[in-house]
Amino acid sequence: MSDVNSYVVIGRDTQRKDGVSKVTGAERFSSDLSIPHMLHIRVLRSDYPHAKVKKIDVSKAEKMGAKILTPEEVPDVRFCPRLVSTPEATYKDWRVLTKKPTYVGEAIAAVAAESEEEAQIALESIEVEYEPLPAYFDAIDAHKPDSTQVHDEVILKETHLKVERNIACQLEIKEGDVEAGFRESDFIIERTYRTNRRYHTQLETKAVLVRPEIDGGVTIWSTAQSIHNSRLLLHEIFGLPMGKIRVMKVPLGGSFGSSIQVNTITPIAVAMALKTRRPVKISMTREEDIRDHCSYSMIFKLKLGAKKDGTLVAGHFDVHLDIGAHQIQAYPLLGCMAGWWVSLYKLKAKSYIGRAIYTNKTPSCAFRGYGNPQVSWLVETLMDEFAGEIGIDPLDFKLKNYIGKGDLFWGQGPTVKSIIQSCGVEEILKRGSEKIDWYNRPKAGSQKGRYRRGVGMARGYHTSSAGGPIPGTVVDFSGAFLKLNEDGTLDYITALMDHGGGTLEAHAKIIAEELCAPLENINIIMADTSTTVYDVCTHASRGIYSGGGAALKVAKQVKQKLRTFAARMLDADADALSFRVDPIRGQGVIYAEGVVGREVTFKEIAYNARHKNWGTVAAVDSYRQPACPPHFTGYFVEVEVDTWTGKVRPLKVIAGADIGTVINPKLAAGQIHGGFAQGWGMATIEDLPYDLSTGDLANKGMLTDYKIPYAKDLPYLEDFEVFFVETYEPTGPFGAKGIGEGALNPVAGAVANAIQNAIGIRFYELPLTKERILEALIEKGEI
Amino acid sequence: MNINIHNTHILHKFQYYAPVTVAEATKLLAKHGDNAAVLAGGTDLIVRMKDGALRPKHIINLKKIDGLKCLEEKPEGIQIGALTKIRDIERSLLIQKKFSVLHEAAKAIGSVQIRNLATVGGNICRASPCSDCSVALLALDAVAHTMSSSGERKIPLESFFAGPGKTVLEKDEILLDVLIPKKAENLKGYWFRVARASMDIATISLAVSAKVKDGVVEDCRLAWGTCGPTPMRTKDVEAFLKGKKLNERVIEDAAKLASKSIKPREVGRSRGPYKRKVAYNYLVEALTKLSKSEDD
Amino acid sequence: MKITININGEPRKFDVEPNKLLLNLIRDEMDLTGTKYGCGIGECGACTILMDGEAVLACMILAIDADGRTVETVEGLAKRDELHPIQQAYLDEGAVQCGFCTPGFIMATKALLKEHPNPSEDEIRGYLNGNICRCTGYVNIIKAVQSAASKMK
Repeated sequence: MSDVNSYVVIGRDTQRKDGVSKVTGAERFSSDLSIPHMLHIRVLRSDYPHAKVKKIDVSKAEKMGAKILTPEEVPDVRFCPRLVSTPEATYKDWRVLTKKPTYVGEAIAAVAAESEEEAQIALESIEVEYEPLPAYFDAIDAHKPDSTQVHDEVILKETHLKVERNIACQLEIKEGDVEAGFRESDFIIERTYRTNRRYHTQLETKAVLVRPEIDGGVTIWSTAQSIHNSRLLLHEIFGLPMGKIRVMKVPLGGSFGSSIQVNTITPIAVAMALKTRRPVKISMTREEDIRDHCSYSMIFKLKLGAKKDGTLVAGHFDVHLDIGAHQIQAYPLLGCMAGWWVSLYKLKAKSYIGRAIYTNKTPSCAFRGYGNPQVSWLVETLMDEFAGEIGIDPLDFKLKNYIGKGDLFWGQGPTVKSIIQSCGVEEILKRGSEKIDWYNRPKAGSQKGRYRRGVGMARGYHTSSAGGPIPGTVVDFSGAFLKLNEDGTLDYITALMDHGGGTLEAHAKIIAEELCAPLENINIIMADTSTTVYDVCTHASRGIYSGGGAALKVAKQVKQKLRTFAARMLDADADALSFRVDPIRGQGVIYAEGVVGREVTFKEIAYNARHKNWGTVAAVDSYRQPACPPHFTGYFVEVEVDTWTGKVRPLKVIAGADIGTVINPKLAAGQIHGGFAQGWGMATIEDLPYDLSTGDLANKGMLTDYKIPYAKDLPYLEDFEVFFVETYEPTGPFGAKGIGEGALNPVAGAVANAIQNAIGIRFYELPLTKERILEALIEKGEI
Repeated sequence: MNINIHNTHILHKFQYYAPVTVAEATKLLAKHGDNAAVLAGGTDLIVRMKDGALRPKHIINLKKIDGLKCLEEKPEGIQIGALTKIRDIERSLLIQKKFSVLHEAAKAIGSVQIRNLATVGGNICRASPCSDCSVALLALDAVAHTMSSSGERKIPLESFFAGPGKTVLEKDEILLDVLIPKKAENLKGYWFRVARASMDIATISLAVSAKVKDGVVEDCRLAWGTCGPTPMRTKDVEAFLKGKKLNERVIEDAAKLASKSIKPREVGRSRGPYKRKVAYNYLVEALTKLSKSEDD
Repeated sequence: MKITININGEPRKFDVEPNKLLLNLIRDEMDLTGTKYGCGIGECGACTILMDGEAVLACMILAIDADGRTVETVEGLAKRDELHPIQQAYLDEGAVQCGFCTPGFIMATKALLKEHPNPSEDEIRGYLNGNICRCTGYVNIIKAVQSAASKMK
């Protein structure tokens, strides 16, 4: 257990370094940038969910003076836009521009003009002749033997794999004897569930600017969670040497996973810049963004067996993953889903079969939790139901079987197993249950009257990064660069993106704490691919655990060099020197213990080092985490169902989290608040249904018909309590783990369980809209 | 379908006019007919233009015309100018006190920012079945006052809507104001609305305006939103209730009748059966409250 | 068409086409990119500015309709080195995560506190109900508004 009180900056709320920029409007996101003389691009997008483009007539657009980009003019390569996995797990079925669109909104061509208005007029003048093909909007339909293939083949490494029955990829995992396990079970339960499809609704719609350079290269500013993977992909597609592709780090306006992959507009912009030899900009409209990506949705079945005393024995998990029209990270997700499932509760024997199915819809990509919110919803509600059948309280059932300290943990899948070293699950559940008076909650379905209240809970976790003791198919390491300036301040340069959650703030604190430098002296530098070493991506809740781990690593190396230089200056033994922060002088200080006056500031060291030609005190290094330790959360939620309209509202939330050492308290709590809001939306209102007659989203890309929670939809401040159970993760920087995804994962399950408690009805499909709830109440004869 | 005409960043090019009198405006409308649209608050027109659904060649901005923005108590009743902002209706203590359903309806529209731009005229003339102002005003027996090249008209709001998105306004006719008659002042009002989220168009709404004496319904108006092709009243239920003493049986029968009488789409996101059930529940609640209201 | 708009205290002259939206004028012509495009249709509040003191959405207003009016954007709040109390409160309460919605919220907050200098939580949630935040869940934002209200009394 760490003693947060003994830290100087760790655990203190401080003003974030990018804060002034953000509250004054000075922070420039991709869409806020412009380059003189740039062309505005509009993308021609498919009107059909599945079609062959027979002809594109751009003559009118060309007459207007617009520049055009057609599928013939871009590199004829197929790629996967997400480069987090190694090649053996990276399936490629995307093109920069396509002549065979497979979803409404897919990019077919592009138009560039001097203004967006002109580009729009030119865009509308383009005539496309389509030959429509059969299209599928349901994974089961697409999977039928006689369905038309969305893709005939997909490329894995250099191999062209034939696609059959629209199976993009599949995975089977077995451990132990599941059949024997079911035979020895006293109770068995099996249920089928369907999730919704959700849109990230990140506030920043994606944009990209590309400037062609005189050496044939390009400089790129884009909405991205990984600048290095952007560069790598563009190198793969365009063949430009990596040194000539410079991807700049730009602030990110929220992401939630939607920019892990290189955005569809980025290669288009590069192609247009190279063709026209002019700077270009694409800024997506919201309706383009809504059609561009969404969460994975599943039809899945879970069967569990348990003994009379509530010990789980065996489980079988069967998943149909509806991935939309292209693969972004379906194959790794299949593995992760197995991992998410088996890492919640102990199962002696488990079997899993997952298939990713193509449908003619918006391609799915990771959405905060990457399948874990869906799996947690399924498991936490099934466990709730199963507990009822066995005759044990669900909380006790979960406490009896959860995977915790000392247990083997799969995390992101079978290839990254590790042992859990820090775990606050018991305390989260005990404290939470006390605060909400769990054991005195209403008996499910006993409530009468118009408004019915219920209490539900769910627990969850997420891995902190995708690291592990041995390399697998997931690339996960970070890197950082730290150097001392002549005034004693330090420049910290990393490729790792901050989505806004404050991870870079945490890195600065980690460095400040390690070096005993004032926090104000750590400068976070906006960098680019040329000036940083590789960081895979900000995802998987790895910002602090992995990125912060890299910051700590280079801080330790810088500390050692400082120590050596200080030893020279103080004529002392390097190992006998100590560090402290001097707030009055605003410097880090190195001193000889017990000898008054025998000390030197960082500034003095830097000055001296320069004059004496000792060199710059700096370190650059990579960091690979030894594990991906789970951070844990638990939500206890009270809801009120209006049985007259089916509308549910959240009355009270008690949320507990174990994220190891808490580095930024208010921002960490902010993750929980935001996670709850997203989970509430997932559980009750968010969905992306399709209009089967047009193949387009029923909401036509309009936010008017994609509702997410607003301020009035969420509980009052006094009814939302967050508490942290501080454990100490020995493998994390200053004992810290992640939080981003754990904050969301269990929420839908807690809400669904609360609704079940309120009205005595369980649902197996999301979202639990007021229509669905009212229908079920009528059917049950409740009203 | 043509998704490439959607672009919510910008607007297409159009001819712009800012007449300073109603006469000027009607002349322009007469001249350009179907190729023209009037611009009031813009919260609806601009959205539809960005969506590519509407690309009028001529936009006639009404906001420079004096006298269309007012909220005045007159001997006949309350006159609300067509260009009165929804936010001003929301802030009006007069309306909050005397016509609570209109206050509730105004509050429910969009957000503060939207209400600072949107006008009551725009909300009514858009003739969307979910128009909150229309629903409330229908329950208050409001009368629309219009002007065209042929002269002025007074149209009861219940005859104002012709179909989804259509009013009975002639090509060159402009809404000047709506009048809520004095007799609507002494009625009890109840407002119900449910939606997906707290900022949202109504899934279903109900405005009830009624007078009860000794437990007997002297008069009532029931106006419904998003229950049919236009904001509508259920006159059959009103007729059923008139003169009846409110008891449990009467309330139940009225609610059953209302649930059959509304005309929601039977298929789609929020389907007929859902709305009919909620309509029933809402009316039961309203009439129950009404039956107890004489004690207030 | 020639128009004059008072922007953050300064009268500025422009020559615009009728179809130019105020949001684009502010962002492109004045390079004041704090006011954001989030949806273009009034659902998200990211383009909230004050026009004659009232909170409105720049994405739904024609630039010519701002002629002769006073417009305030987030860039006009801080005075040299000193942040406006609302800005400082947002920072102090951890109400800023990705920051994309922040300018819109701050401007809406300014209008809110002018109209309700001592707002209840209901009033705060109601007034800010036109602004979407996908990161914070609104909790720290409301705390920031309360903190700003008490400091601005």
